[in-house]
Amino acid sequence: MQKAIRIGILVLVIGFLGALVIFNAINPTPVDMAVWNEQMAKGDKETAKHHFIMYTDIFCPYCDKFSDAVAANMDHFENYYIKENNVLFEIRVTDVNYVNGHSENSRPAGLAAYCAAKQGDFWSYYYALLAKIYNDYHSRGIGVSRDSEKIPTLEMSYFYDIADNLESIDREKLVRCMESNETAAELDKNTKEAQKKINGGVPRFVFDKYVADGFAGNWNTTNDYEQVKLLMDAGLASK
Amino acid sequence: MAIRKIAETISDRSKFALVSTGYIFKKPKYLVLFLLSFFVFLYFLTFFRDGSSNWQLIWSGLAIDRKLEVLGRIFQAILENFCSLYGAVILLLSLLQGIIVMQLAFAWRHREKEQQLEGASAGGVGAVLGFIALGCPSCGIGLLTPLLSAIAGASAVALSETIGHIITILALGLLLFSIIRLGYINYIIISSKNYKEEHAKSH
Repeated sequence: MQKAIRIGILVLVIGFLGALVIFNAINPTPVDMAVWNEQMAKGDKETAKHHFIMYTDIFCPYCDKFSDAVAANMDHFENYYIKENNVLFEIRVTDVNYVNGHSENSRPAGLAAYCAAKQGDFWSYYYALLAKIYNDYHSRGIGVSRDSEKIPTLEMSYFYDIADNLESIDREKLVRCMESNETAAELDKNTKEAQKKINGGVPRFVFDKYVADGFAGNWNTTNDYEQVKLLMDAGLASK
Repeated sequence: MAIRKIAETISDRSKFALVSTGYIFKKPKYLVLFLLSFFVFLYFLTFFRDGSSNWQLIWSGLAIDRKLEVLGRIFQAILENFCSLYGAVILLLSLLQGIIVMQLAFAWRHREKEQQLEGASAGGVGAVLGFIALGCPSCGIGLLTPLLSAIAGASAVALSETIGHIITILALGLLLFSIIRLGYINYIIISSKNYKEEHAKSH
């Protein structure tokens, strides 16, 4: 009898794992292919043959690994994927890590990203902020995984200072936008919408019919870009 | 009083398990089996370390050579396990699993099938729990979060981090229990074998 119970429990646990794997593999989540924020998309949306969406949170280390690798290899990414393969690359910024209680910084970072988009240069601000986070924290092993030291709650000036080195972003406008929560409604709406599509977490990559969760990188942009290429090529092969 | 007795029993059996494990390690074929099991578990635990992204790449439309590249990259990721606490947990789970497989094989070889099942099934559950607990719940990825999110909705990420830690501890506990259990059985087997050999020599 005891033997049967033990075997039963083992079968149950294996079945549970199997269900998880199948659940991940079939990915039944419906995909919304309309661009959420025009400023956060690269490529020609009128003629694009493929649509690649990344659901992200600026303080999600695995998302940052992907974006840092792309930033370090931007020429290849833009020429080969966006131009040659006619991919519309869209980033959907959320503050899910703030909503889930993992990072206080996700909220201002998300607000700042949408404020930068309002000024017409989301991409410069986004990559500049990621580079600063990498230099200040990720490169020192802070905030790189669940077991590492957490990034402290940052002052708002951390997000404003990025504008000082960018000609396209007006610091005063950024401060006003963030202080008046101008982009809060858009961030909240997009985070809420994203939560229905990401099975609870980021990064989630949706490339036409191909969907992937997580990003297996190691903060070496050369190595991580190889992983980006695998992901992108899997997406291209899905159509 | 009862707790003290249980603690003493566990302590005694742990010592016996340690002795038998050391004995079995000295046998080359079991050492090879241990190393093989250790690397197989290390490979698969590392494969699922960052959630299901590698699994999804394997099932994607990538050409076969690119899929082999995905599999090959895991070897590099294995080395990175030595650089983080999270990686250390993966190494520990693999190490314990390797010891269980080695002990199981030893007990099986000496025909103690009924007894070994008790330790083996707990070890199996521990191994499965080890896989489930993997991933990065703070980023919402991993094997546990998607299923929890289907049940608990958006709160699944916060929930899965706590549950993930509990499951990791549970997995380590079950693996240790199996090692002590199997190790104790093997100690009896080894003692009995040694006694029989000495008895045969004296006659």
